Amino acid sequence: MALPREGIYGLLAEFETPTELVIAAKAAHDAGWRRLDCYSPYPLEEAAEVIGFHRNRVPLVTLIGGLMGLCAMFSLETWISTLAYPLNIAGRPTYSWPAFIVPAYEWTILFAGLSAAFGMLALNGLPSLYHPLFNAPSFRNGATVDKFFLCLEATDPKFDASEAKAFLEGFHPNSVVEVEY
Amino acid sequence: MGHAKTLPADLSAPGFVRGWQARSLVVAVLFTVTAVVLATLDHSAEHIYRAWVVGLMMCFGFSVGGLALLMVQHVTGGKWGLLLRRPLEAMTRTLPLVFVYWIVTGLWMKKLFLWARFSDAAAALKAGLINETEAHAIEWKRPMLNPEAFWIVGLICFAIWAFYTWKLNSWSLQRDADGPSTTAYWIRKFDNLSGFGIVVYALTMTAAVIYWVMSMDVTWYSSVYGLLFLVGEGYQVLALAVLTALSLSKAEPIKTILRKTEQYDLGKFMMAFVMLNIYLAFSQFLIIWSGNLPEEIVWYMNRINGHWGIIITLDFIFHWLIPFSLLLSRDIKTNKKRLMRVAQWMIFAKAFDLFWLVEPNFKDAAGNLHFSWGILEYIAVPVAMVSLWVAYYSWQLTRRPLVQTNDPHLAEILEPEHAHA
Repeated sequence: MALPREGIYGLLAEFETPTELVIAAKAAHDAGWRRLDCYSPYPLEEAAEVIGFHRNRVPLVTLIGGLMGLCAMFSLETWISTLAYPLNIAGRPTYSWPAFIVPAYEWTILFAGLSAAFGMLALNGLPSLYHPLFNAPSFRNGATVDKFFLCLEATDPKFDASEAKAFLEGFHPNSVVEVEY
Repeated sequence: MGHAKTLPADLSAPGFVRGWQARSLVVAVLFTVTAVVLATLDHSAEHIYRAWVVGLMMCFGFSVGGLALLMVQHVTGGKWGLLLRRPLEAMTRTLPLVFVYWIVTGLWMKKLFLWARFSDAAAALKAGLINETEAHAIEWKRPMLNPEAFWIVGLICFAIWAFYTWKLNSWSLQRDADGPSTTAYWIRKFDNLSGFGIVVYALTMTAAVIYWVMSMDVTWYSSVYGLLFLVGEGYQVLALAVLTALSLSKAEPIKTILRKTEQYDLGKFMMAFVMLNIYLAFSQFLIIWSGNLPEEIVWYMNRINGHWGIIITLDFIFHWLIPFSLLLSRDIKTNKKRLMRVAQWMIFAKAFDLFWLVEPNFKDAAGNLHFSWGILEYIAVPVAMVSLWVAYYSWQLTRRPLVQTNDPHLAEILEPEHAHA
């Protein structure tokens, strides 16, 4: 969770069409901006592409979760069948691993699925009760309806409020606003 | 953000496909010689007959399995299908070679099947050639398992596969000859043929594998057997089709139409077949292991005891663990070279699985894995047969344009693609 901060979060430009957003985002990325993000009412693959969408750790979290589920269930069954409650079932050995496979597999899937979902939430910072972008009225009104946003964030070393504003205005957005924390 | 690409004017197979053909013919000859040498060392041709079945099932899997996947992609549509269609069609057109392999298998029937060797089970039992269970099974299954039925059922199956092969292939050329205004008509037409064809394929294929493989152990039966082979065919066909498409992508025209998006999709599809395959194989094992009935369990005991445990463990590793672990990775699925390695591995794993299925059917090998020069025929004979098949397949690949042009997905596949992480 981000610590409470003061000052400018970033500069937010509102565009009317996805094409304008993608052109501006590409130009910003090419100009060296790295702390920037695009916001659109629906997934916009081109936008992700031009700002250098990179891989994340969700697959790793999922793999670890799956392996944990596998080990947990297989050990649980082994413990129950051999130590805690050994039963003679049709004369089979108490450690009859073929019978353990199905539940172990189910737990692999269950843990992997839950790890993927919760790992994704943990890594992207959701659920989030507060995000500074909602301070901008244009964002509140348009981001989930029909407007396309590009935000250059203040944490970028290139960030300078007046230069960034001039840069964004070069693309003729509907508006460019400073967003406070 | 580029613009849509244009398809090259020449859609025929690149020159190096001729090279594949020549090389596989050389391999076929070398391994045929090896097979003969091994038989001399072994002082018996016994293992040639057995290994022949492995070769037959590999080639049958590619050819008729290719027909099945071709029909599936006609029914489902999708851009991946456009990429694989012509390679799959080339696979189906190798049916004549599979037919020849099958005729040879039929001629060796008495060497392979107890039910064919002993027309009088009672006499064979008295002479001590078979045990009581086998004698009973031979008599009981006589209406289905007899030489006449083997030939008749086989001929009917081949006639049906040939009909679908002919229809799908000739329509495919007519479809390209017709203009874009006919696309919807052709899609409907292919749909209607393929939908029913898939059902017919599942039934005929089940009959075929019961006659050709399952009945080598006359006492045993498993109702999931046909399905197991059906999925196994999907496994090997998809591996070969992906291998073909990726190898062809070094040159036009596939170079233009192969995108990361579809390659990644095909990788996921391979993963699905790897999963389904182990799911069915393990289900059969789990059910028979749980039941532990004397009629069924022997089949597994023949394939686990006496060092066969090593083979079944390796089979599990080769067939499932390795391709599964590799295909989990997105990097491998989107890397051409690596995905090709996985596809090659899967084809090898399929052959290894067939070895485990076939060899323990015979008395000298059941529950007793041991070395003889003959057992190496399982390498020599299938490699020779599959190489000859590959030569035929490569030749068929050169006979048509590699891309179907009268298809709505063509425009989509030529569009630029988006981010992949």
